[in-house]
Amino acid sequence: MRGVLSDKRGVTPVLSNVLLTVVAVAAMSLAASATYVITENMRQIMGERVIAEDVWFTSDGISIYIRNVGKVAIEVSSVYINFTSQFFTPLTLEVGGHERLNVTLSWDADSLYHINVVTSRGTKIVDYYKAPS
Amino acid sequence: MWTTIRHLRKLRSDRRGVSNVIVMVLSLVILVIIASNVILWSYHMNQLDWEKTQESMTIINLVNVNTTYSRWSTVKAEYQVNLGSHVSGSFINTQTIDGNWETFQEENNPLTYRLDFNGTFILDLTAYPLSLINTVEVQMRYRASDTLEKRYLKAYNWTSNAYSDGSFNNTFGHAPSGGWDYYAVNFTDKWQSYVRDDGIVVIKLHDEKNDAVRTTIEVDFLGVRIVTSGVAFTFKNNGSLTAHVVSLWIINSIIHNHYDVNVFINSGENETYLLSGVQLPSKPYFVKAITERGNIAVYSPN
Repeated sequence: MRGVLSDKRGVTPVLSNVLLTVVAVAAMSLAASATYVITENMRQIMGERVIAEDVWFTSDGISIYIRNVGKVAIEVSSVYINFTSQFFTPLTLEVGGHERLNVTLSWDADSLYHINVVTSRGTKIVDYYKAPS
Repeated sequence: MWTTIRHLRKLRSDRRGVSNVIVMVLSLVILVIIASNVILWSYHMNQLDWEKTQESMTIINLVNVNTTYSRWSTVKAEYQVNLGSHVSGSFINTQTIDGNWETFQEENNPLTYRLDFNGTFILDLTAYPLSLINTVEVQMRYRASDTLEKRYLKAYNWTSNAYSDGSFNNTFGHAPSGGWDYYAVNFTDKWQSYVRDDGIVVIKLHDEKNDAVRTTIEVDFLGVRIVTSGVAFTFKNNGSLTAHVVSLWIINSIIHNHYDVNVFINSGENETYLLSGVQLPSKPYFVKAITERGNIAVYSPN
């Protein structure tokens, strides 16, 4: 036992190997975290699916009923009607969530409106809707 | 041969560039992880889109159903007798109209012969949610030995914390004929006072007044049910996948009514779903059904 304790040859290589292992594990952890962060954003963008169930021209404006049919929560960031940005009630929908999106707007009967709803990740619901008579 | 051995010895002794190789391998591993993660997720979403395109669900019929009823809810435990006594039979005999009955008798106290008992009923709110109830109906089939005294059904009012029949369609009680009689009441549109949020309704039967006759009551049936009206949608699934309808719309020029539903239609099958508590508006109108995958079926009877 005393021999083992007094003989310090080989300590340096052991320490260096241990240190190298620690550094390698730390580096791989960092790399894995970075991978998760990078791919998570891409996955969220790819996982967005949104539909407009109904568009209702009301006396207060236009009410768009939106359903999240994708795999990630969505947040509506912009609404464009006839290519003009509109003020609207902020809306966040969980997976499977559905809610009305109310846009205050004065509309004309029998007119055609191009409605574009954009989420914070860039997914769009775009279509033409004709106002009732 | 010697040349190869010499090169191998040189490679073994010369360790420059090993770190570069390790870095490259690690980078490759990370790239593979990223790519596989993205590709797998992309595959998943592509499958979702493919399933959406394969889904083919249509509405093939729409019918206004004037009035529908839930199944009868009956007591699941013995009645609580407050005045009088239980003579024979059990609560099970009051669950169906089958000629088997439970017998109660007014208390044995001359000149103050009274009878009062109550039972607890649970409405089927899973099939008929509170939001779709029009009213609640109570029906009893019974026979009384005394035809001179009326019988009264009352329900526990969860707002006033007392039994009452104040909002019933009939507050005059029922005069027995001496044979088997049906006595039915409903809670009108004030049913919310008598139905607890979890669907519990407590019904009481009591006699009219003190009298000199000790009456025996035989109860063959006592039940409670939900009354509602609705619209029957018939769906057809022409696709190869099961369709899951999650939303229904009834739309005309002045209404855009939305209803959350939960209807599964097997591939190749038809399914009829009753949307309770709803009536179709005057024409022209159309209805929409939205599936979980995001497809929309439209039906217009106009």
